[in-house]
Amino acid sequence: MEKNIYIIKSTEIFDAIVVGSGISGGWAAKELTEKGLKTLMVERGRPVEHRKDYVGEGVKPWQMPFRGQIEKAIVDEQHYIQKKCYAFNDATKHFFGNDKDYPYSTPKDKPFDWIRGNQLGGKSLLWHRQSYRWSEHDFAANARDGHGVDWPIRYKDIEKWYDHVEIHAGISGSAENLEILPDSKFLPPFEMNAVEKEMKARIEKKWKTRKLIMGRTAHLSVPAPHHTAQGRIQCQARNECQKGCSFGAYFSTQSSTLPSALATNNLTIATNSVVHSVIYDPKTNRATGVRVIDADTLETREYFAKVIFLCASTLGTTQIMLNSTSESFPTGIANSSGALGHYLMDHLYGAGASGRVEGFEEEYYSGRRPTGLVMPRFTNYSEMNPKFLRGYQITGSAIRQGWDTFSQQDGFGADYKKAIRSAGSWIFNLGGSGEMLPRYENQVSLHPTLKDKWGIPQLHIECDLSENDWKMFEDIADTCAEILEGIGVKDVTKKIEAKKDWHPGLAIHEMGTARMGKDPKTSVLNGWNQAHDVPNLFVTDGASMASCASQNPSLTYMALTARAADYAVQQLKAGKI
Amino acid sequence: MTQPALPNGATGVSRRDALKQLALACGLVLSANSLSALAAFTPPTDLTRRKKALLNTDQLALVRELGEIIIPTTDTPGAIVAGVHDFINHFAAYCASKEEQQGLLAGLKHIDDSAQTRFSKPFISASKTQQIELLTHMEKAADGFTADDRAFFKQLKALVTFGYYTSEIGATQELAYLAIPGGYKGNFKFKDTGKAWAIPY
Repeated sequence: MEKNIYIIKSTEIFDAIVVGSGISGGWAAKELTEKGLKTLMVERGRPVEHRKDYVGEGVKPWQMPFRGQIEKAIVDEQHYIQKKCYAFNDATKHFFGNDKDYPYSTPKDKPFDWIRGNQLGGKSLLWHRQSYRWSEHDFAANARDGHGVDWPIRYKDIEKWYDHVEIHAGISGSAENLEILPDSKFLPPFEMNAVEKEMKARIEKKWKTRKLIMGRTAHLSVPAPHHTAQGRIQCQARNECQKGCSFGAYFSTQSSTLPSALATNNLTIATNSVVHSVIYDPKTNRATGVRVIDADTLETREYFAKVIFLCASTLGTTQIMLNSTSESFPTGIANSSGALGHYLMDHLYGAGASGRVEGFEEEYYSGRRPTGLVMPRFTNYSEMNPKFLRGYQITGSAIRQGWDTFSQQDGFGADYKKAIRSAGSWIFNLGGSGEMLPRYENQVSLHPTLKDKWGIPQLHIECDLSENDWKMFEDIADTCAEILEGIGVKDVTKKIEAKKDWHPGLAIHEMGTARMGKDPKTSVLNGWNQAHDVPNLFVTDGASMASCASQNPSLTYMALTARAADYAVQQLKAGKI
Repeated sequence: MTQPALPNGATGVSRRDALKQLALACGLVLSANSLSALAAFTPPTDLTRRKKALLNTDQLALVRELGEIIIPTTDTPGAIVAGVHDFINHFAAYCASKEEQQGLLAGLKHIDDSAQTRFSKPFISASKTQQIELLTHMEKAADGFTADDRAFFKQLKALVTFGYYTSEIGATQELAYLAIPGGYKGNFKFKDTGKAWAIPY
């Protein structure tokens, strides 16, 4: 980024504005600029330069004053929500929001953990990189049981866009030819270890409907020439991804979409620019730009464009839309349906089981694989369970217990030290990712009085678990335990973390609140991620999702974004928007 | 042991060289700019933070003694040489809550008081046999020690274990440390390293 691509003030009318620079925003910028649109990317956080700003990368444990942990006073003051994320530590904390700056409220009995990545690159620097296509079964889910509105698209509508984004991003995985989890355009899969291979064989022998396959992840297992040309090289299996990766081995805005967008010379970036609202012209019924508050100086400014893409994260986008009020849209832009803010979903995480695998002491692995295994959905697909609607995907892995697990066993001294050096038992764990139903009452709204430091009304988030969700949690734990016991795993223990400290939000797969749908009376966006009410306004991040399936959603955001960008450019060129 | 693809470079020149080697191996040309950007790496701000301590001289000496009993010198150095006591002193001052700090100090006092009761001397003056006997009873909640005492010992052991295996000695001499593994090999035998990985997952 040697060129002067950053701006503060501008009177230019851009072809497009993209709000946000994460996975969706990066893809919007890449696609729009490559199709010739002069595009302004607006990011509320600071610039993060690939490689240079990965300050936690490569720091050895003993070089960190608290070996990766963080001073308690700082966590208590600034990171009281963010600390709940598994990836939050001393080497990654600068990529998480400061909770003091990003306040929100919830009812006391409905906690919601909102994880924030507000910088150039957004949460693309922090994501877990698991990448799965959704299936026809997923896009038909709402129509099948009547919860939520029917998706206006089906698998065939998005299939070629999956191809398109996968080839560029680089997705590793094994081709399995499963209708419930369609294959991507794959790079080679990561390897299973000896125990995983054995467990796969035992599971697939015992249950014809259950398969255990390698997780699909946006890592360059073996880069293709076009990845090398992007400045990216093979994954080194450090598994320290969220510190930032100078190898560009995993997909992020910085490693993948931003270089492509910059290469067009059509991209301009405004960082430290907190979008207050979308500017709307009732005479033309068009969004004409965005009002921005400078993150540091609190000065206000405006940017203008012919097309606006909101990619500010699920709740970030909806917060902007709710705050974009006018005479035409008193409850938020493009909200004639009243659906804006409603039907919030997250995945049901934290339930599963684990146990000890006897034997295999001679077996080990080298490297820290950046993905686990996955068992594609079978519940309420190939095996019916009338107790609840929808289903879940199971993830897992086999590992040998490390030094961190030994202190709870009895013993100390030379034998203790020797046992740790000899590596621990093999542990096989399974956990679920469950589909939450889209429900009207799971919603966000603007707080009537509380504002953040930029003067923007805070979000009030009301999201809780339904009876369906709890039944699914129970079934995930029971089924995982049943599988483990069925293949000879010992000392199996079950868990449902939602009974303790897991809250919605913490899967960091928040979706919905500006859903797609066929009917403008019940949905915010049409089948092109285009606002029913305002034709030059597009929302392509998680806010647009009409249901949440059970797969990790980011790959679908990428494909929806590329598809919407293609459509928007066609419409713009045809003079229709 | 199989050779890692790269030296364990982390900062400055070694990190730059590591990336350069890798780039060459992959036929990728990194510009001089990106290499100097890599070298101009700045550490997390906390690295330069002032030092604060929780333990007084006697308490520190006790933690030093306990650490070495839990992880002694064998064919590799133990907890003392790895500086585990100094790490705990510093770590507990910054990262533990007030209650956790008080719990640590109370637990240490209880160990010393128990040594006085049993052996009429402070813990560090007791014989190795006496020390090990006392801690074994404590960990088993036997001989007058309670479930709370057992829980305290487990916490202390966890702290010593954390301090030792994240130290340079614990990670690189006692265990096998690979900063940049070069890829994941699922078909890898334990004898090929002969030691557990310092970064296990």
